[in-house]
Amino acid sequence: MLGRRAPENAVRWLLLALAVFWSAAPIVLVVQSSFKASNRIFEFPPSLWFTPTFEHYVTLFRQWPEFAPTLLNSAIVTLGAGALTLLVSVPAAYAYSRYRSRLLTWSAFGMLAVRMFPPIVITLPLYPVVRALNLQDTHLVLIILYATFFVSLSTWVMKAFIDEVPLELDESAKLDGASVLQLLFWIILPLSRHGIVASVVFVVVYAWKEFLFAFLFTTSAARTAPAIISEMLGSVTGVAWGPLLAAATVQLVPLLVFVLLVQRFLVKGLTIGSTKG
Amino acid sequence: MAVLVPKSEPHANRSSRLARLVPYLLIAPVQLLLLVVLVAPSFGAAGLAFFRTSFGLDATWVGLENFRTVFADYRFWNALWNTVVFVNVVVYLEIFLGLAIAVLLATQFRLQKLWISVIIAPYAVSAVIAVLMWKFILEPDTGFVNYLLGLVGIEPILWTVIPLHAFAVVVLLEVWLNTPFTFLILYAAVMGVSQELYEAARIDGARGFQLFRFITLPSVMPAVLVALMFRYIFAFRTFEVVWIMTQGGPLGSTDLLSIYLFRNGFRYYDFGIAATTALVMVAVTALLASVYLWNLYRTMVRDAR
Repeated sequence: MLGRRAPENAVRWLLLALAVFWSAAPIVLVVQSSFKASNRIFEFPPSLWFTPTFEHYVTLFRQWPEFAPTLLNSAIVTLGAGALTLLVSVPAAYAYSRYRSRLLTWSAFGMLAVRMFPPIVITLPLYPVVRALNLQDTHLVLIILYATFFVSLSTWVMKAFIDEVPLELDESAKLDGASVLQLLFWIILPLSRHGIVASVVFVVVYAWKEFLFAFLFTTSAARTAPAIISEMLGSVTGVAWGPLLAAATVQLVPLLVFVLLVQRFLVKGLTIGSTKG
Repeated sequence: MAVLVPKSEPHANRSSRLARLVPYLLIAPVQLLLLVVLVAPSFGAAGLAFFRTSFGLDATWVGLENFRTVFADYRFWNALWNTVVFVNVVVYLEIFLGLAIAVLLATQFRLQKLWISVIIAPYAVSAVIAVLMWKFILEPDTGFVNYLLGLVGIEPILWTVIPLHAFAVVVLLEVWLNTPFTFLILYAAVMGVSQELYEAARIDGARGFQLFRFITLPSVMPAVLVALMFRYIFAFRTFEVVWIMTQGGPLGSTDLLSIYLFRNGFRYYDFGIAATTALVMVAVTALLASVYLWNLYRTMVRDAR
């Protein structure tokens, strides 16, 4: 019995090693290379133990003074999109959870149907509108666009969580004379804290990573990190990888940490979002 | 409009007109946002397809002229064909990898949670960073992949010059970025398969691959179909990775519909042609989503009656 299990186990671990290598190797390589001296970046095999240097980070912020502000812009846009998404999704989620009518059913159907819409399509009609409204190069335009593409999912995930909150609580709060908004903020929300996280993680990840809208609708004042990194990637060819690797690390690591922290909410949100509509 | 009552017992005595409006006021912000930013502009895009329009040029009605131009453009057909091949290769690779890793991890390893975190890590990587990463790894002169290939005497990967290499590289990037999605959905499904089914099958003498073939696979099939549909819809609109990596080149080998649309719209400022392409993309998306929409309709609208 043991004799048969040992090789089987070895194969399992070998396959796991392959899967882990496939997922992690590019990330690890980029992050660790950003701390290597220029002449060691392309050393083969890539050394795992080396004296870290911050020279590329210094060069990055000196050569690309516009990089640091784009990080701030990314943060503003990400937080803004998350906040706007919650602001509009939570009340709607409560309505879809607690009330029934034909109009509500159809509006929920419509909301979930347009979720499939390709973002690139609306860039065409929005481009002149954004210019006419002077929203070009503002945080607001990105916040609105990012939120729009995720409110459907957020509402639906939040609804699933509110469904779990017992109706008796609504009843007693109403008997005590609470308004709907009071009920929502003081009773429902505290009880569905996890729902708030689960319904906001996707838009946060999207807003931090998004390139197309940022590339089209911002030029300098509201430029986000992915947009400027693509510029750096286009202008620096061949040799100067150091600062690029540093920029990639700075953009990547915060989101990586965030994703790992909220992992279980991702799974929950995905299950609700993909199976229940 | 049907009777509007809360799911619970209605507070009939307190139902004023205002109270009836409450749910509609609550959904108004979401619906308004979608209407103004998504639905209205998409009608705008549909309208644009029938005009010739660019910057500093008054829009002129041209009827079906744009459609004729687009359908006569070999670049459009090239982009469409590339998209069809790209989507099919990418989606099935992602499903295969996602399912394989899910089944592997379902056997439970020591430090299980750590391995799951590692597998979903690429989800945190932006398209821009993924391109940067793989450009770095695939660097023609000094990159690691070509160095390794050189050691075993294989020609280097020259994705900026050789069409097939470029196509393979953008496929690789897209698969790498999206396998966490298929993995997460399929892992949840694999973990949900009842242990009793496996017990019963083992008693009947099923072993190893048979257990996968006759128990796991049929049980997770619904989840596979869900993942398949979502990935078809989202892979079809792939833009960022390809635009940043190759802009459709070399020789149009990685030109996708989204790239064709973007180039016509925002490089040549030919909004009519771009909008026509957009209509084609919406139509295909609707077709791909029709199963989802039908399901949605069935569970939400029809069964609710």
